[in-house]
Amino acid sequence: MRTTHGRTVRTTHGRTVRTAHGPLLYARSRALPLTLAALAGTALFAVWAAGRLDAYLDPGRRVPIVALAPLLASAVIGTSLYSASDELDRTAVRPWWPRRLGQLTALAALAAALVAPAVLGHAETFGAPAVVRNTLGCTGITAAAAVLLGARLSWLPAFAYVTAVYLGSATAHGRAAAVWAWPMQPGAQRGAWAVAVAAFAVGAVLYAVRGARPEGSRA
Amino acid sequence: MALPAASQAPVRAPHPLRAEAVRGFAPWAGAAVLLTAGTMLAATADRWQGDWAATATEVHTALMITLPLAGAAGCWQGGRERRRGTEELWGTTVRPPLARLLAAALPVALWAAVGYVAVVLLALLATWPYVQGDRIHPALLPGDTVAMAAATLIGHVLGRVAPARLAAPLLGVAGFLGLGTTLGARSAAVRALSPVTSSLDELPVWWQSGVMAVWTGGLALAAVLACAARRRVTVLLPLAAALTAGTLLAQTGDGLWRPDPLARRQVCDTSVTPAVCVNARYAGMLPQVRDTLAGITGKLEGVRNLPARWADHAGAPHADEAQLPGITPLGWSTVRGRLTDPQEFAWEAVTALEGTDCPESMMTERVLWADDAVESYLAPNALQRKGLVPGDGPAEERRLLAARARLAGMPERQRRDWLSAYFAARAGCDPKEVPAL
Repeated sequence: MRTTHGRTVRTTHGRTVRTAHGPLLYARSRALPLTLAALAGTALFAVWAAGRLDAYLDPGRRVPIVALAPLLASAVIGTSLYSASDELDRTAVRPWWPRRLGQLTALAALAAALVAPAVLGHAETFGAPAVVRNTLGCTGITAAAAVLLGARLSWLPAFAYVTAVYLGSATAHGRAAAVWAWPMQPGAQRGAWAVAVAAFAVGAVLYAVRGARPEGSRA
Repeated sequence: MALPAASQAPVRAPHPLRAEAVRGFAPWAGAAVLLTAGTMLAATADRWQGDWAATATEVHTALMITLPLAGAAGCWQGGRERRRGTEELWGTTVRPPLARLLAAALPVALWAAVGYVAVVLLALLATWPYVQGDRIHPALLPGDTVAMAAATLIGHVLGRVAPARLAAPLLGVAGFLGLGTTLGARSAAVRALSPVTSSLDELPVWWQSGVMAVWTGGLALAAVLACAARRRVTVLLPLAAALTAGTLLAQTGDGLWRPDPLARRQVCDTSVTPAVCVNARYAGMLPQVRDTLAGITGKLEGVRNLPARWADHAGAPHADEAQLPGITPLGWSTVRGRLTDPQEFAWEAVTALEGTDCPESMMTERVLWADDAVESYLAPNALQRKGLVPGDGPAEERRLLAARARLAGMPERQRRDWLSAYFAARAGCDPKEVPAL
């Protein structure tokens, strides 16, 4: 019996079966439909929360959304990097890095595009650019954590870091603060953008090259 | 026949709790709590280092992040058997479900609590070298530690019943948001029930911590028993205790917090006029504050109609007092027991002597010019030191500079009389009585 991508094939028993495309199989093996639903849920939550904050009085009130919605989205993306058949995957002859890179960047772009409309306007302070930056940064940290800790626990470092900075950076100002407190900076801070983009680049490259840490039935 | 010597003592298998506590995820959970709270506290060190009360408040506020983290860690641990595929295997053991659950859950709870206590101890050690008075405020610590363990246990139960990879991060973010919401809640009952609430410069009543421990611990125990007890009816006991404690907290509301009696007292140096007083909570700052204000008190020797003292006690200053510039909240004018900008502090002290209670109509041009000249003479701020003036246009600038020069150039006796008349007019809020320059 032979199957090829997305074709209707006849088996040796004479029955006709329809097989899925390669990318579609990949998407299903990474539970992507559930991930997309969770990202949509995150976006809806962000829109709902933004409506309750009266942010037109003070853009600073959007900080909880700007910091936490990308964090939640990155947790969703991170857990979707888990593969239930890791050992089998590694025996494949096809290169994995394009799929991994494609999955990570597409999900990060989708998350940013979904959450950003919740905070339109005030681009210089806490608006859509800050959400895009935080989504990139958090996804980068989570992807790197998936390589080091495993995909299922990949949310932990970003969660610990962002919540600590959330409370710790209230009085922090200056160039150094723009670097270490990047998730809490206004959208136009260059230092914060540099850190977030660097985090995403490192995370994406690590994940594309190495893949998530094999977990099996351990942990 | 002699028995063979019992050279080998029977080897006892270590307790399962020990194996769970020293290996696996539990120590990492403790380390995560330590690192997260440690990062946050290190970033805000200027705000609390050197003040026992501020340190106690800050480590209590750190619960905002450590409680959700502990809950998420518990949730992760609760899903362990599902991830490993060993649920059925566990079902075949002779241990009751409660013992099995506690063997997995208690080590993480213990480590999360230990991580938090370690953070508190480190913060107290960091504060110690810089303290200026007051005493350690450990009242909230028992309740906070129990809350950490309780959050872990509740998270564990949720992780066991919710078969989703996202359960743990969702619980963490929801917990963070939820606790943040309780801080700003309008209802005093909600604030009282929240384990992260604190009140600025106020102390908890002595029973708050214990009752909070019963409230959070009771809820956690009820969740554990509901999930794994053989007799589910036992849930009622911790639930009843938690509800009783919760009712007590909610009914008391803001009454859980009382003013710090020490904050009403102040220590003074009466050898100078006006006398210099600082709050008894940071009595060690008195020599430094007195030295900072020595330039002013030296220039004011012999001047009459001054306030009796710079006061620094809870509530508004009395009629014959001027408010000492704020030493607290820490992190602005004071960091680690040192004044960050003594010259700015001295300038603020002069503006306090000028009086701030007068109506807006009193602030005529004549008064503003006199104020500027007095400040420039006694303790100029950064702008005044550079010879910059706030006037409109060059003509006014010249007149302001001339006023400053006239006051500085007056003979000693004449200046004393001028300042006496000036302070009398300012105290009486009478612009016409302010002497001309």
